[in-house]
Amino acid sequence: MKKDELHRLNCFVENKPGVLARIVGLISGRGYNIQTLSVGPTEDGTVSRMKIDVLGNDSVINQIILQLRNQVNVIEVTSRRKS
Amino acid sequence: MKKENKKTGAQVLVDSLAKAGTKVLFGYPGGTVLDIFNCLPEAPFQFVLGRHEQGCAHMADGYARATGRVGVCLVTSGPGATNTVTGLATANMDGIPLVCITGQVPLDYIGTDAFQEADVCGICRAVTKHTFLVKSADEIPETVAEAFYIASHGKPGPVVIDVPKNVQRELTSAQYPERVSLRAYHPESMATATQMAKLAKLINEAKRPVIYAGGGVIASGAAKDVAQLAEKAQIPVATTMMGLGAFDENNPLSLRMAGMHGNAAANYAINKTDLLIALGVRFNDRITGQLSKYARNAKIIHVDCDPASISKNVHTHLGIVADVKDVLTTVNSRIKTAEHKEWLAEIGEWKKKYPVSYRKMHENVIMPQQVIEAIDKHSKGEAVIVTDVGQNQMWSAQFFRHNLPRHFISSGGMGTMGFGIPAAIGAAFGNDSSKIVCVCGDGGAQMTFEEVVVAVEHKLPIVFVVINNGCLGMVRQWQELFYSKRYSGSILTVKDRLANERLEQDLNYDYLPDIVKLAQAHGANAMRVIDPAKLDSTIAKAIASNKTTLIEVIVEPRANVYPMQPGGQPVESMIFE
Repeated sequence: MKKDELHRLNCFVENKPGVLARIVGLISGRGYNIQTLSVGPTEDGTVSRMKIDVLGNDSVINQIILQLRNQVNVIEVTSRRKS
Repeated sequence: MKKENKKTGAQVLVDSLAKAGTKVLFGYPGGTVLDIFNCLPEAPFQFVLGRHEQGCAHMADGYARATGRVGVCLVTSGPGATNTVTGLATANMDGIPLVCITGQVPLDYIGTDAFQEADVCGICRAVTKHTFLVKSADEIPETVAEAFYIASHGKPGPVVIDVPKNVQRELTSAQYPERVSLRAYHPESMATATQMAKLAKLINEAKRPVIYAGGGVIASGAAKDVAQLAEKAQIPVATTMMGLGAFDENNPLSLRMAGMHGNAAANYAINKTDLLIALGVRFNDRITGQLSKYARNAKIIHVDCDPASISKNVHTHLGIVADVKDVLTTVNSRIKTAEHKEWLAEIGEWKKKYPVSYRKMHENVIMPQQVIEAIDKHSKGEAVIVTDVGQNQMWSAQFFRHNLPRHFISSGGMGTMGFGIPAAIGAAFGNDSSKIVCVCGDGGAQMTFEEVVVAVEHKLPIVFVVINNGCLGMVRQWQELFYSKRYSGSILTVKDRLANERLEQDLNYDYLPDIVKLAQAHGANAMRVIDPAKLDSTIAKAIASNKTTLIEVIVEPRANVYPMQPGGQPVESMIFE
């Protein structure tokens, strides 16, 4: 079992109702705890940026990213290790 | 735009459904969808009234599985919508395209705990591909178009459109869009030239390759391409349960189904293969058993349209996110012909040594497996088999010779009991050229039996076969094998129940309810078979008949599904009897 590390996910999403709930639900519904979450506008008012800190090993984080990218309103997701 | 050119949201919704290609709408009315129902008499598609919203969702699902088109259902707010949740989750797990329209209380009332209010988008989020809450009638045509697009593109799945009642009554002049373009959702993905070259090379170099085909092959219409690949390079083909029909089981290259209750030869071949070519599969735990020992000698190629399924459960040596058909069309021209004689001979030995078989337990008692063999024989393997969940499902998977895609319809990932009857009805609306045979157990049949009346009303020539063993067979089997034979909660007959479940009054019949009388009360032709000698003729007659027919077959209550590879264990632990 690889060890859990803190990852920062940067998500650019369409600014539409329900998007935050869908993303948070996707992460928490799989039993992973969000440590920090912030959502704000970008210069383009139709796009929001979410910064999500999640604890997990690389394969878990990778799976979360792929699932996030599958979401209809998610434009892009990147991640980096925070340590 | 002049005011008289405007239409109500409800009318525009119905028009949009028609434009999106709806041929049949399954549904159940209620307060918040009355405006939509008011437009249905003039709609250019057929409306089918189910008897429970769960049934409506499963019908739309069965229709989608039989046809490949998007299944559509319409239900009211609150309980109507929540009743569809099981149906949506079932479709979501198996990647089935559905659009479910739910009524909602007027926008002003949302959040006030109004009558029949539920946060449907919130509830459905975890069991759908996407949800929409429509806030103005102007959004309706575009939302419907997007919902159909999302449901059917990428990995298909269910989409909910929640439409508040006041939005249905608003006037709009919005038109159905000519094309859909979604800003963030672009599921199309192609294999790169490097991937293709690597794929062809791996296949050409493999000594003991196995193709492992799943529901994705059927969804992408790639069954013929799989056959071409298998024939050209002489590669044996195992399927998942969702992939049954993706490869003709009469073909000597077929290993039939793999997994927990799969064919021993299929599981042994996957265990020994040096190249597992996985096409449109998810590597579900019911297939793999113990992950660390799964396909332990193999390089794994995984082709799937869902990027999240690659390397999710097993380590993949070559993962390709693309449509299976696209990949095979290209790769089939690049692979060399091969014979793999030794490998096929070894597999042939396994097939001979471990055939799909069963032993009769009592002389005058029908074995459940016989029932499926009879259906196979009298439908000449051409029927669409719709199953419920449990032992009946596994026997249908094992003992029917599946040879055509979209001819085996079953709840795979979700394992939803009660799926069979409504899904068979949906399938019958979609496929009127094949015989539909629905195989249920006595447990699952009782969960959605009310829908039988829909088959009768529409004169659907479905044969419902209820395999009655007086117990919840798969639960009972696990209790026999893993819970010291304590049959808690799994015995439906009266006399064999545990003391804590025994009933006060002494009932003199053992099987309750009387399923034959129940079917007759719904207007179906119904009969019971107990005598093994009468099984064949009864099934043959029912298949030849064009009336809705139900056959209850009283079978050996203690029959188990074998082989069985217990959950989370490696192939060595397979139990044969």
